[in-house]
This record gives sequence, structure tokens and C-alpha cells, in this order.
Amino acid sequence: MAQTHSPSADPSGGATVTTVGGLSTKGLSAGSVGLLGATVIGISCIAPAYTLTASIGPTAAAVGTQMPGIFLVGFIPMLLVALGYRELNNAMPDAGTSFTWATRAFGPWLGWMGGWGLIVATVVVLSNLAGVAVDFLYLLLAQITGNAELAALTDNVLINITTCLVFIVAACYISYRGMETTKHVQYVLVAFQLLVLVWFSIAAFLQVANDTAFDALAFDAAWFNPFLVPSFSAFAAGVSLSIFIFWGWDVTLTMNEETKDPEHTPGRAATLTVGIIFALYILVAVAALTFSGIGAGELGLGNEEIQGNVFAALAGPIMGPFAILLSLAVLSSSAASLQSTFVGPARTMLAMGHYKAFPARFGTISPRHKSPAFATVMAGIVAWGFYAVMRALSTDVLTDTILTLGMMICFYYGVTAFACVWFFRAEAFTSMRAFLLKFLAPLVGGVILTVIFATTVIDSTNPDYGSGSNIGGVGLVFILAMVLFASGVILMLIQRRLHPEFFTGKTLTKGTSLER
Amino acid sequence: MTDPANYVVAYEATDRGNEAIELGVALARLTAAELRICLVLPRSSAVPAKVPAGASEFDRLLEREAHIWLETALALVPSDVVATTHLLWAESTSEGLLEAAAQFRSDRIVVGAGREGLLHRFAIGSVANALLHVSPVPVALAPRGYRAPEKISRITCAIGTRAGWESLIESMVAISDDLGVDLRFVTLVEVDAVGHRSTPDSAVHLDQVLEHFGRSSTARGAITTEVAEGRSVEAAVEVLDWRADEIAFVGSSRLAQPSTIFLGITAHRMLHVLPVPLIVVPAGEPH
Repeated sequence: MAQTHSPSADPSGGATVTTVGGLSTKGLSAGSVGLLGATVIGISCIAPAYTLTASIGPTAAAVGTQMPGIFLVGFIPMLLVALGYRELNNAMPDAGTSFTWATRAFGPWLGWMGGWGLIVATVVVLSNLAGVAVDFLYLLLAQITGNAELAALTDNVLINITTCLVFIVAACYISYRGMETTKHVQYVLVAFQLLVLVWFSIAAFLQVANDTAFDALAFDAAWFNPFLVPSFSAFAAGVSLSIFIFWGWDVTLTMNEETKDPEHTPGRAATLTVGIIFALYILVAVAALTFSGIGAGELGLGNEEIQGNVFAALAGPIMGPFAILLSLAVLSSSAASLQSTFVGPARTMLAMGHYKAFPARFGTISPRHKSPAFATVMAGIVAWGFYAVMRALSTDVLTDTILTLGMMICFYYGVTAFACVWFFRAEAFTSMRAFLLKFLAPLVGGVILTVIFATTVIDSTNPDYGSGSNIGGVGLVFILAMVLFASGVILMLIQRRLHPEFFTGKTLTKGTSLER
Repeated sequence: MTDPANYVVAYEATDRGNEAIELGVALARLTAAELRICLVLPRSSAVPAKVPAGASEFDRLLEREAHIWLETALALVPSDVVATTHLLWAESTSEGLLEAAAQFRSDRIVVGAGREGLLHRFAIGSVANALLHVSPVPVALAPRGYRAPEKISRITCAIGTRAGWESLIESMVAISDDLGVDLRFVTLVEVDAVGHRSTPDSAVHLDQVLEHFGRSSTARGAITTEVAEGRSVEAAVEVLDWRADEIAFVGSSRLAQPSTIFLGITAHRMLHVLPVPLIVVPAGEPH
């Protein structure tokens, strides 16, 4: 029954507010998403148009023509971790972030760093998304007006970081207001992206067939063999980038209540999503390779000038007047993703604020919009600040942020994978299913990620790594990653000193799957 | 109906929410009704992104916070008024409030209407605006900074000459039933620069209104009528004197679907200058 406050009742009595029967179901309306809807959500999370333009260049630079093969093996660690991730999601449905899971498994210190890794990865991707959106905004304006000079405005650092600020403020504001993209808009955006990317690939193949390609490279089935990558370092860099390109796919696996058939829909949607994404990525990768080659020429995939945002350079030569469609597809994909991605770090920071792992202000919820007010604004400020600093330091800001991002994702996915193994350790050998999904898959996934992470960290010390930006002869990507981790550790120690509740296990306790 | 009358109060932990509670208290005292203080949370439909948004955890934290907010709300209600608190999840705030009003069979939805307008003046917020387009029950709008008086001393009914005014009168009859509150019927008349009235027979119309009202009313307070003239609706409203412990009634536009509200242009303009709470009554069933 609802709490009653009446003249006879003690006004200071313990108020227990109850929800209204039947009215109140939180969460997505149960049973509202079918196979198609779940697949659209999966593809939308990956944002293929954005992901491809940001990753094809760096991947081609790392592994050359073996790009299609790397995309295939790069999916394996993602799959293994996602399987464990799903088990955690089912076991702790009220949690839902790497921060909470890792804290429950490993205690406050590693849990804090897991949450930090997720926040940093998201903030970095936010700045990259905004950066890509800026490039394509000016390219689109140039295409609309027929004035090629407009596209060059993006090279002006001041204009670039100011426009980026506008994008981030807009996305931040939409998140803060709690406004959401409707399902309808999402369907249109996804369909449009797929259509334009297929168009782009076909146009590229036609140019190759007509001998008008930039640097035609004959197709070779050996491109699909990832083991032909020349060195393990290159292989590790490629896998790290592949994890970035599939990032977001795991969301489909954890959609349970909202699907019409929770037993089958999430698994089928995840399979269908990855099938479509595989086909698309391989199509576009092969198209880009056969058209551009991997040389360092004007349109070559090895050209550092274009690597961070390949479609911006290739759209015109390949699609001619229809290049404007590709600009629209990437711009809409990155802008929509920018907005929806704000929600993740903001909510993780809110949870960390609530459990006193972050200053309490991060835990505040806007009473009007019911959104994580302070955390959202902080995510925006940090994302923009990060972008502005990178823009000033790096010769190719987008390439370097993507490489940093790959490392960060490896880190927090790795922590999550091991959290799964450790949390379920007591029941790992109780059944074959538990052994495979709660122990073996996340363990192998976690080990692969650790190896990739360690390799890329070591390699990134080389000043030639990524865009070739360096500080004092040490690669910028390495310095960046270390600054991000070190600032995490420092902030953690400050918080431990000022507000020790979280670190002494007072707000969120450690446990295993059997002692909940 | 044997249950006491009840009003849904649209609460949020802001000034606007507090003003809704104040108005709810004032109306509850006037008519001996109970308050159903409702806090609507957004049913999460966040578009998933690359990073899972941790929706379930967020919802749990949000719900915990909402309970704290509702306890604060309850503390605002004085001990002479009966109030219950309710937490709802809905796609939109207005949808949740309408659901609650339907479930509780409420007689009214009370909402803080204020936005960043001028002090003590109306500039309708989005929730109030949404309700004013679809609500099947009267919507009471609290102006910015509203505080409940000890007792409402007068109810003013702004009445037009267009068809449909009878349902507004029925509302007035219902709310003043057996009460000693003063009643005032006014018509607002726009007068152009050379002094021409747009509706010359306002006084005659008011007599008609009074007669209609007198037939069914059991009110015991003083009844007055007034014709307010001004260059604009706003000016006409400002000609009238308004007591601090007064509320105003206005009918829905004739554009409204039967049994729902659609705030007319005149009423909208009134809102901008009205210093007292306004209750908007839905259009009656077609005769």
C-alpha cells in the first residue's frame, strides 16, 4: 500500500514510498524488441560508417593487406569476453557496469581501475567521434556549396576545436535533458549507413574494373590469412584495432527482458549482427584495398594524412557526386553515436559517485530531467579537453586517439573478463556450461587481451608508432596512455585519502557468485 | 463514489514541484480532498551505445533517489491534509500523470507550471503544456513561487460567450458545493484603440451565466460579476483585482476534443499575466 500521511499519523514516521500496482515497470518495456529490432540496435551500437572511417587507415598501416584476416581473428577475444560479460549481467542484473562487477570480484582497487578504464575509453571515443563529425561537417558543407575550400576549414586548429566543442555541448545537452533518439530514427540511420557503405564498395570495384582506380591492387585470397602479418607487434596492433571496430556488439547479448523471446532473440540477434558486420567490414576493407592500395600516395591507405579519416579522402574519388551521401552517413552515424555514448560514462561516474568511489557530486541526479547531471557535464568537459590537447600535440589526432582507445578497451575488457573468472570461481567446475562460459571463455579472452595490451604498450614507446608524433623521442600514444593510467591512480589515491568509505569496503562489498 | 476526492500532484524535487504541492494543499483544504503525490521517472529507453549504459544499475540508483525526493515532498504537506506518495515509471512525465489520474480516478491534476518566466507569472513548462493538450480531468497550474494560503477566499471564473461555457459552470458548481467561498464571474473584453468593444453584450451574457449557475449551485459565499476591459486580454486581466488567496477557472478551447483540454488562445494569454493559480477545465461532452 501507498504511504499515507494523515493527521493521525506520526509526521516524522518512517516514510516508505510504494509504487503503484500495475503502473510501474521500469526498464525498457518488456518484450518490445524483436529479432530485427535487436539487430538494428546492435549495428547502431557499432556505428559501422564511423568505425570504418576511423579504423581502416590505422589497421592498414599496421597489417597492410591482411586487414580482412585481422578483422576475422580480432572478433575472437571480443566474443570470448562478451560470453563472460553476459554471465555477469545475468548474475548481477542490478549492476551492469565494469566498475561494479570488478569491485564485487576483486575489491575496490581493481574495481576502481576497471571503472576508470571504461570512463577513459569512452571519453576518448567521444572525442574521436566528435573529431570525425567535425571533419565530415566541413566536407559536407564543401560538397553542398561546391566550394572545396570549406573542407579545409577543418585543418584550422581553432575552428576545428571550436566546432568540436559545439558538437560535444549539443550531445551533452541532449543527454542531460534525457532526450533520446527514437527507434524509428535509429532504423533509418542504420539502413542508410548500410546502403551507402555497400554503394561505396561497389563504386570502388567498378573503378578497379575500369582501370580508373587510384592504385589498383589485385585481390588475393591470402588477405584473409591473419598469420601472414609480418610481425607479432603488427598482429597485436591489428587485433587491438579490431576490438575497437566490434566494440558495442556485446550490447545485443545482454538484451534480455526487452526482447520478445529472451531465450533465443539475444543470441540470434548477436549472430545476425556480427554476420552483417563481418560481411560489411570485409566488403569495405577489400574495396578500399583494391582501390587505394597500401602505399603512401595521395589516396593510399598508407598515407598518414588520410589515415585517421579515410572516407573523407576516398569518398569523392570513388563515389563522385554521390560522395555527399557518404558524408551524410558518417556524419549522422558519428553524431548519433556521440550522443548515445555520453550516457555510458555519465552513468558509470554516477554509480562511482554513489558508492563514494568518486566525489559525491558525481552521484547527483537532476531532479528535473532525472539524468546524471554533474557526471554528464564532466564527461563533456573532459572529452573536449582531451580532444583539444590532442589536436595541439598530434600530427594526426584521430589516428592516435584510436590507437589509445584500442589499448583502453583491451584494459577494461580484460579486467571485466578476469572479474568474471574470479567471481564465478566457486562454480566454475560444477557443469560443462559453467566451465565453458564462466571460466574458459573469459579466461582465454582475458589472457589474449592482456597479451595484446602488453604488446601494444611496449610497441607504442617507439616514436614511429601511430602518427609518428612523439615527445622527447617517446611515442605520443604511449605517453598518452601512461598519463591516463597514472592520473587514474593519482585520483584513486586522492579519493582514498579524502573519502575512504569505498576503499574500506563500506559501500560495495567483495564477494563471489555463491555468497550473494 | 465513496472514496474521498483526490488530486494527482505532479511532483519533482524542484521549486516547480514544491509549488505544485502548495497548490495541491490549498485545493485539498478547500474541498477536503486527498493528495496523490506522484513522481514520474523516465522508463529507460536509452539507445544502447558502444559502452553499455548500465541501465539497470542506474534505474536502481534513480529509484533510491526518487524515494528520498518523495519523502521530502511528504514533509512539505501540513498535517491537516492527507497525502500519499507514488513512484511511477513512464515514457513521459505527462503520460505517467494521466495514467495515475486514471488509476486513482482523480478529479484533478495539479502541476507547477512555472518556467524561467517573470516572477509570479506563468510561462508554461513542457509537462504542463503536454497535459493542457490531452488531459481528460481539469489541470490546476501553480504560478511561480506559489505558497498555499490558509484558506482560499474567492474563486474567479473567466467565462467567454462561445459555446461550451456550461461545462465550466458545472465545474464551478461542483467545486463551490456547500462552501462559503466568494465567487466572481468575469468576462474579458478586448477594446480597440477607438473604444469599440468586440463583444458588446458581455453584461447580458454574465446575467445569463449567473442565472444558469444559480439554478444548481449550493454555494454560500458572495457572488459578484465583473466585465474587464483592456486593449488586450493581458491588459484586461491586469485591470481586475486579484487576491493572494484566490484561484481562477477557465474553460478549454472550443477546438478541444470532447472531454479533453485544449488551451485556447485567450486562456494562454491570460496565463502570461495571471498572478493566481489557474484551473483549466476540459470541454464538456457534446450535447
